[in-house]
Amino acid sequence: MFFVKLAVLLTVVVLAGCQSNLTPSGDDERPEVQTGIVGNQVGQIAPDFTLESTLNIFHTLTSETGTNDAVVLYFTMWCPVCDEHMGHMRRSYVSQYPGVTFLLIDYVNASVTDARSAQLSSGYGDMLALVDVGWTVKDLYDGTMGTTVVVDRNGIVQMNQDYRDGSKLGQVLGALP
Amino acid sequence: MKSKSLVKNSVALFVGATLTFPSLAFSASCCGGGSASALVMPKFSKGMLDISMDMERYNGFWNKSGDYKPDPPGSELTQWRLNVGYATRLADRWQASVIVPYVWNDNQYTGFSSQTHGMGDTTVNLWYEGFDNVTCVWKIKKPEDWIPASYYGLSMTLPTGVSPFDDVADSFDITGRGFYRLDANLLLDKTIYPWNSTLALSYGKYLKRPVNRDYGKYVEPYDKQLGDRFNASLSGGYTQFLDNMDTLTYTLAFAYLQEDEGEINGVTDTTTGMEKRSVAMTMAYATMDRDWVFKLTASRGITRDGYGENFPVSNVVTVGVSHVLR
Repeated sequence: MFFVKLAVLLTVVVLAGCQSNLTPSGDDERPEVQTGIVGNQVGQIAPDFTLESTLNIFHTLTSETGTNDAVVLYFTMWCPVCDEHMGHMRRSYVSQYPGVTFLLIDYVNASVTDARSAQLSSGYGDMLALVDVGWTVKDLYDGTMGTTVVVDRNGIVQMNQDYRDGSKLGQVLGALP
Repeated sequence: MKSKSLVKNSVALFVGATLTFPSLAFSASCCGGGSASALVMPKFSKGMLDISMDMERYNGFWNKSGDYKPDPPGSELTQWRLNVGYATRLADRWQASVIVPYVWNDNQYTGFSSQTHGMGDTTVNLWYEGFDNVTCVWKIKKPEDWIPASYYGLSMTLPTGVSPFDDVADSFDITGRGFYRLDANLLLDKTIYPWNSTLALSYGKYLKRPVNRDYGKYVEPYDKQLGDRFNASLSGGYTQFLDNMDTLTYTLAFAYLQEDEGEINGVTDTTTGMEKRSVAMTMAYATMDRDWVFKLTASRGITRDGYGENFPVSNVVTVGVSHVLR
């Protein structure tokens, strides 16, 4: 009876859950990417955009890539995970790669004023933050909290994924021509 | 005399009915949600149904250095959780329970708002009671009267919630962490009427899992493991007997939660790891037969430096009811 009751309990739980986390997969299911066209996948031509910074200056991606080794976009909502990622990025890479422009993309605030306030209260006033009101860039790059995009000087996407522990960003920046 | 005996037995049952760990709140919608608590039913009952609703309001966070930082101005981040728990007796000293949460995320920033919902992470518990007789006493008359009620438990958290590794559009859809976790639990409770104190300790280990998708995007597969988790809470309570023999119990609890840094492909992920300290107050009303217990809990995160690391600060209000099946 002991095990019958336990089995019933476990069955109810398993039936209640229908997410893939119960049987996680390690299969590589990345789709084939068509390079040479505009898109947000690695190897594709990065979609261009213009956004206003929290210092009221407009920045265009193609202008930034044309004058730097690469551009790193980090999508932030000023949360604890974002803070840890941005802090790690600042400590590990910003000074190490002076030829790379690091841009924080704020996609949660409605105005430059709000975004600047969040940026300063979070302690990132020394970094460049762009304000993505209306989610133009978020949608272009399929970004969300922690998404990190690297665009090289040729305008090609070299990375577009979650920041995780930052090691992938280090690899990509280290491999830049 | 009969009345006093009834009170003794009733209070013993009541103590059991209210033994739940303080909410191990790791539920920010940006970090994973759901709730985890260990449901323990009274010694001499066959089953128990427990339903509660949490409202967790976020109020900034502590960074990895322990410094408090506010949320963006104008933002309101709230998570609601409906927790349905059922406990059943397996044998004289054994009981098992399951807790299934359903989660609603309500995130409002000045730039947009998001309302999502889904199942949270389910918890299955197995408990062994280290005693046969009621350990609650009115007075200490002999050394044995100091012996507390002890419970030894195992809990398995099942990743039934929506995690960052599912087919989600963005981080606001998340209601669970996506990992199995096995916890070893120890619960000690001592009641010397009208006072009682409870110490709850748990140590949890997440199981490593493969990941091939982050926030809906398929990625190069990798292995991920979260760090070990330690939780401790210490509480003290006072029970007030009403004229009709119903009771009101007031409890103050201090909780500490710590999670080690995780690993990605066997390498330590220094961006993870967390710590949190919080205080909670509970008021519980129990009917005379202790078959029904109504609970109201308020838990507060402290918006000052040094009370947590890499973790959201939040205030949680929980309203719940337990029904004991004889």
